[in-house]
Amino acid sequence: MAQILLVEPDRLLAETYSQALTGAGHKVMIAPGAQAAISAADTARPDLVILELQLVEHSGIEFLYEFRSYPEWQDIPVLIHSGVPAGEFTDSWQIMGQELGVDVYLYKPRTSLSQLISTVRDQLSVPA
Amino acid sequence: MAREEAGGTPILSQRLLLSVAEELKLPLLQIARQAEQGQMAGKTDLAAIRATADSALKLLDNYVLGVRLALEPEQMAIESVSVSSVLYDTGQQLDALAKSYGVELELSIAGRYGPVLAHRQGLQAALVSLGAALIEALPAQAAAGTGSQLRLHLATHRSRYGIVAGLYADTKQVSNEALQRGRELQSHSRQPLMNLTHTSGAGIFVADTILKAMKLDLRASRHHRLYGLGTVLQPNHQLQLV
Repeated sequence: MAQILLVEPDRLLAETYSQALTGAGHKVMIAPGAQAAISAADTARPDLVILELQLVEHSGIEFLYEFRSYPEWQDIPVLIHSGVPAGEFTDSWQIMGQELGVDVYLYKPRTSLSQLISTVRDQLSVPA
Repeated sequence: MAREEAGGTPILSQRLLLSVAEELKLPLLQIARQAEQGQMAGKTDLAAIRATADSALKLLDNYVLGVRLALEPEQMAIESVSVSSVLYDTGQQLDALAKSYGVELELSIAGRYGPVLAHRQGLQAALVSLGAALIEALPAQAAAGTGSQLRLHLATHRSRYGIVAGLYADTKQVSNEALQRGRELQSHSRQPLMNLTHTSGAGIFVADTILKAMKLDLRASRHHRLYGLGTVLQPNHQLQLV
């Protein structure tokens, strides 16, 4: 069972994704924003982070910079699951890939729950 | 005064419609994923709701893409694209909707054609929008006695103008004249393509908008004995020589 930190500002979507991931055998912590996500990771170290880039107050990218600044969290896989197409984040996406250790970008409107679950499974099986 | 595009629609209105479309994507996403979650919990009757919500979400998403490509053509990355692979992915995206409407999808990608030059995401979005509109239209046509087997073919073939990618059915309601008339009636009539679909045909016009932004045409086309709509793509000769 893996501990997943789900950073998702929309409450309905967060609950739906959380139920699906819980059904797949994972334990899920929901954080609606960047600060809540940092607090949640402090409370229980996640095995994987699922991150929406459009957050309130701080963007997902700002969260990533802060998250990766802590040495103990640098090897935790982060999966972007965003309503913004990767193409609109071309520069940021390259920065994320290279500097922030993010390999997977899922475009939320085109990603089913089963695709999300299988991607999470794949990410968790990759050795750090 | 608001600036105007070639089509006559003020850019300000386009931007407002864009933000409305973006806003509507969230509730549709919520419905689609909640229905999927219900399906996973054994409520199989939610499959049609999920397929419909996902289809509406794709339509909005494709509309947004079409307008963005039209407003910011410099953002368009033309690349070498395999038509067969785009049609295959289109079939995957339309599969759930087709099942919920009792339409069988058939891929006709047997011909070995080289790559074409296109904006892959745009081409696929156009074909998905077109396909969704035709899937929704086919049962009504069958009920009117114009066809018994609900089957939509995703096909490619070579023509003297280039490589054609399109969607075809055993229906004769599609013609360039009907399409032209539909374009003129679009936004003035609730049913601009009334001999083809009982709906507003938005998917067809979204496909038309995306293809236009890519400097391509949506036109009536034949594939063997079938009738449909498609676009002509230009082969990438450079890659074919390699």
